[in-house]
Order: sequence, then C-alpha cells, then structure tokens
Amino acid sequence: MNKVFTDGLSFALPLLIMAIGALYSEKSGVTNLAVEGFQGVGAFFGALAATLFAPLIGNGNQAIIYIAMVCAAIGGALFSCIHGLLCIRFRANQVISGVVINILSVALTAFCTSAANAAISGNASNKFVLDVSSKFTVPLLSKIPWIGGLFTDMYPFEIIIAVLVVVLWYLMNRTRFGMRLRACGENPQAVDAAGANVTRIRWMAVIISGALSGIGGICFAYSLLGNFSPSIYQGFGYLAIAAMIFGNWNIGPTTLACLAFGLAKSGGLQLCIAAKLPSNYTDLFLLLPYVLTLLLLIFFSRKNHPPKAAGEPWDKSKR
Amino acid sequence: MKKKNLLLARRLTGRHASLWVSVLAILLMLVTAGILLLAMGKNPLAAFRSFLQGCGMLPKENYGGGSGMLTDLLDFLNYLAPLILASLAFIAAFKAGLFNIGISGQMMLAGFTATVLVGYNKALSPVIAKPLVLLIGLVVGGLTGALIGYLKYRFNIHEVVSTIMLNYIISYLTGFFINNNYVDMMTRNSRTCTPEARLTLTNVMIGDLKGKIPLGLIIAILVALLVSFVFRKTVLGFEIKAVGMNRRCSQYTGIRVSRIILLSMGFSGAIAGLAGVAYYLGYTNTIIPKSLPGMGYDSISVALLGSGSPIGALFAAVVVSIFQQGANYMSSSIGVAKEIASLITGILLLFASCGNYMKFRAERKIQQAADLAPRSVPAPAAGKPGDRGVKTL
Repeated sequence: MNKVFTDGLSFALPLLIMAIGALYSEKSGVTNLAVEGFQGVGAFFGALAATLFAPLIGNGNQAIIYIAMVCAAIGGALFSCIHGLLCIRFRANQVISGVVINILSVALTAFCTSAANAAISGNASNKFVLDVSSKFTVPLLSKIPWIGGLFTDMYPFEIIIAVLVVVLWYLMNRTRFGMRLRACGENPQAVDAAGANVTRIRWMAVIISGALSGIGGICFAYSLLGNFSPSIYQGFGYLAIAAMIFGNWNIGPTTLACLAFGLAKSGGLQLCIAAKLPSNYTDLFLLLPYVLTLLLLIFFSRKNHPPKAAGEPWDKSKR
Repeated sequence: MKKKNLLLARRLTGRHASLWVSVLAILLMLVTAGILLLAMGKNPLAAFRSFLQGCGMLPKENYGGGSGMLTDLLDFLNYLAPLILASLAFIAAFKAGLFNIGISGQMMLAGFTATVLVGYNKALSPVIAKPLVLLIGLVVGGLTGALIGYLKYRFNIHEVVSTIMLNYIISYLTGFFINNNYVDMMTRNSRTCTPEARLTLTNVMIGDLKGKIPLGLIIAILVALLVSFVFRKTVLGFEIKAVGMNRRCSQYTGIRVSRIILLSMGFSGAIAGLAGVAYYLGYTNTIIPKSLPGMGYDSISVALLGSGSPIGALFAAVVVSIFQQGANYMSSSIGVAKEIASLITGILLLFASCGNYMKFRAERKIQQAADLAPRSVPAPAAGKPGDRGVKTL
C-alpha cells in the first residue's frame, strides 16, 4: 500500500510540472501539443550534460542531477523557441506546429544521441545510461498511517517540483505578469490596448513551458527509466495535456488530476504484482492510465472552459 | 537580384502557389540536410545519391544474385503503398479540420485483426483471403475512426488527445495478445501470415530478377483518385470541406456538423485501416509488439507537403519514401546513422508547415514593389489580400 503512494507521487510530480508548462502556454493563447517533444529534448540535454560532467565531478556524485535539471530546463526552453517561432512569428497552425515539434524531437534526439555517443565513447548506442536518483525518507511524516507512503523514499526533485509549483501558482494568479498572460489567452486585443506587448508575453509563456517540460522529462529519465533512450516518448506529455484539460486550465485541479494518474499507474502495477500474474500481464495494467484518461475526459470535457483565444495567431489589426 | 526575388514571389502567389510552396520546402530541406551532412564531414551529394540508389532509382555499384535495380525499385514501391494510404487517411480528416494523429494505432489494430482472422487461416484461397483482408482493414479502421469522431462531437474530447490515448491502448493491448498467443519464439515478433493472405506477391521472377509485386499500390492509387473525386465532385466532400473551414457557419447553413465529423473521421480511419493491412500484411508481414509504425507520423509530413491534396500526396509520398527507404543503403555506404532519415522528414515538415507564411511574405513583397514603382511593376491579379490567415484546403 505504501508503495502505491510512493511510486504514485514520483510519477505524478514530473507529470504535474509538464502539465503546468502546457498550462502557461495555453493560458497565453498558444495551443501547446508540443509538451511531449519539449520534455524529450529537455531530457536529452540534461542527460547529455550528465554524461559529459559526470567524470569531472566524480562518478556517483548526486549533484549531477541538479546540473542535469538546469541543463534540461535550458534545453527545453531553447527547443520551445521553434514552437514560438512557428506559432507566434510565422503564424502557422498551432496544432500542426505542436505535431511537427513532436515528430522532429523524436528524430532529433535519436540522431543526436547516437552521434554524441559515437563521439564520446566510440559506441553509437541510442541511450545515455544515468543512475537512478538517490532517495530519502522524511523522518516523522513517513510514520503517519495511510498517507505515510507519500513521504517515504522521496526523490530530491520532488521537493524542487513542489516548490516550483507554488511559485508558478503565485506567478500566474497573483502577479501583474500572470494577469496579463491570462488575458492574452482570453482577449489579446485588450492586453494590447492596455499597453502590454502580447507577442513578448506569449514568447515568454512558450519558453517557460519548454523549460518546465524539460525539467519534467529529465525527472522521468532519472526516476522511472534510469536512462535516456527513445523510451522517454511514452506519451507522458499527452497525459500532462489531458491532466490540464481535467483541471480546466487551473493549477489546483490539475494537481489533483496528476495525482490521480500517478496513483492509477502505481496502483495498477502493484495490483498486478499482488495478484502474482505472469509478467506478460503487466502490459494490461500499463494501459490503465490511458484508459482512465479517456474515461475521465468523457465526464469532464463537456463543461470545460479553454482559453478563448488559444489557437489563434495574434493579429494586431484584427477587429 | 531584386527581380529574381519577385519572380519567386509571383510563383508563390500565382495559380500553382501550393505546388511552389512544396517545391520551396523541399529545396530548403535539401539545403538544411546538406549543411548538416557537411557539418558531419560527409559529402551531401554522395549521400543524396546513395538515398536514390537505395530506392532503385540509380544503379548501385554491385548487386547480389537475383537482385538488381528493379528489385530495389519494387521494394521501394512496396513501402510507398501504405505511406500513400496513410497520408490519404490524414487528408480525409484534415479537410474537416480534424487531426488524425492516431493513424499509427488504427493501422496497427487493423493489421492485427486481419493477421489474426485471415493471416493465420491456411484454409482460405487467395481469391477469398485478399479481399477479406482489405474488408477487415476497412471495417476495423473505420470503426476506430468513427469512435474518435463520436467522442469529439458528443463529449467534446479533442481528437489529438483521444487518438494518442487510443494509440497507446491499442499498442499495449495488441502487444499483450501477440506476446501471449501469436509470438514467434525466434524473432519475438508475431508469426508471419500465409502467402495467400499477403497483399504483396513475393519471389515473382521478372526476367532473371526476383521481385515483390505490391498489390497495395494499386489500391493506394485507386483510393487517391476516389478521395480526390469525393472532395471535388460530391456533396459530402463539399460539406466536409465547409465544416473544416468554418464549423459555425456550416451549422448555420444547415449542414449536420456532428454527422460530418463522424463520417470524415470514419472515412479517415477506414483508409488508415487499409494502410495498416498494406503495411502489416504487405510490407513487413509481421507485427512487432508494442511498436507503433512511424509511418503514421510520416504520413502527416506527406499530407502537409502535398498541401492537403490527394494527388499531391502521391508525389509527396515518393519524396518522403526515398529518404525513409533509402536510409539503410545510405547508412551502410556513407556511414551516417540511419536516424537521419526521420530527421530530414522532420525538417521537411517544419518548412512545409510554414507554407502560409511564405505565401503571406510573397504577397507583401509584391505589394511593396507595386507601391514603390506602380508603372513598371504591375500588381498581380492573383492572391487576394487578407486571405493569409485562411487555411488552404
């Protein structure tokens, strides 16, 4: 039972940071289906940095994770500029742009990983082997019955993400920048009339989105997978978007949706282990989060209120 | 210099604007790929030549026994057939303003069902088995597509999210059944299906060369003509296009939008199902469990490069296939990782998606030239100002 909470939380938090990334972009009026691509490329940069820097600071040193996270955020932010360029500057269809980014990212990381590996070690393998991050248990809280599992065997990045989420909530809902950002998604003309620069706000939102997704990606690479390989593209980004839709484009409910996904995933897996089914059957339980997503979408999608101007390129002369 | 720029601008706003946008996208892609190859210290021209050699369009230095340029060309066509069908599937939904990202999943489900029901049945004769395979592909794909359309209009679920979820569900589910019941112990893939059911005739002797005859290609061309006919000449096609351009307006004029969404997604899924059987019971003849075909995503590049026209997709598919199919030979002869093929396709997609912006810039350029010198450079008649935001259909 404890294991369900522990694993569930470590899956839910990276998902949440990606969902908030998507949320920032969509709230500013740029539809973002490119989260999947951002997280993959971000994780690639993080993993590359980890592989390059690990010998310098000593193998097995856990500080490498923080370097990797910073590099993943920078890499995700850089890659998200392509989405910004297509959607904001070139006024391309934003859904197409998102799909383009996702396809490009899979190809780009696969190609660059084997090229980088060939350059570093001479062996053109398609993965960077990373350590699994070390874990810690919060002393008193982990003894609480029922929910103690939430505080057992935590990854350090979970704390970072939790802090980031609070900061991002504050930025979105309590600051002038956040208010303008939300207004850009509802009525960009009004923001323009008020004297703010819609293009710049949207650019910042997309770049924030890329950075956050990159952090989410490297956290998955360090916890769930233990390496960086094409298996990073398992649809986490789309799950994050689905969580954002349940959350009705609000950070609070989105958090709950992500927790539900995480618990469904770990619960399914533990159920499979508890029932002593052969390993073939894990496939059936792995599809639980996706089925759950579809079912929840059926109940929650109808009365949703997406940002009104999302998907429309900003045109100053439009009435 | 300035005059030459204007010439390009004219092309991009003229009658064949979409064609010129595609040509420009391909040129930009070749330049980018060339720079990339140069940066890696390879000769881009040699690389592009080896792509063509791998597809049987240029002769290789030496061939093994029983194979030749024609063999490679037939292999290439064998790959081309499902790609054309998959891109037609994307176009069918795209015209209604819907993005069918789940072509991979629909292909896999159709291919899996047809393999299990017909491909392992040794009693059927080819005359019955082959049409049955096609029928199963149509029905399974069509039903999956229609389900997505239903979720879209009844529950307002964005089709991109629902198709992706279905992709993973299908991938895990078929993977589970293949691993449990239909696995080939040697390859860890599904067992190969009977030659009676396969849509590609293998080991056909042409002269002294052995080759494969892809029957899927005939179907692909027929479907392309059919899709083209539906969108040009029928009421249904007109209604689908109208819904794609402006959903509210079409509702106001009395088109039943829900029915159109359901139909066009079903239509798209059915063609994707055909692509699936052409891929799994023609090209590969086996299913790798839990690995969705990348072709479902390449088809999006093809459709965008062909600027959403079914006939354009035929030619765009050739361009994309050259890189995907020629990658193996290129990789062995030049020594560049074959993942570069997908990268090139991605770059191509990137440029193709900027098509509207290219047209917009061209219009602006002509307008500016006309403003500067109203007498010497006449303003063009084509290219109405203000239609830059409109999606080309």
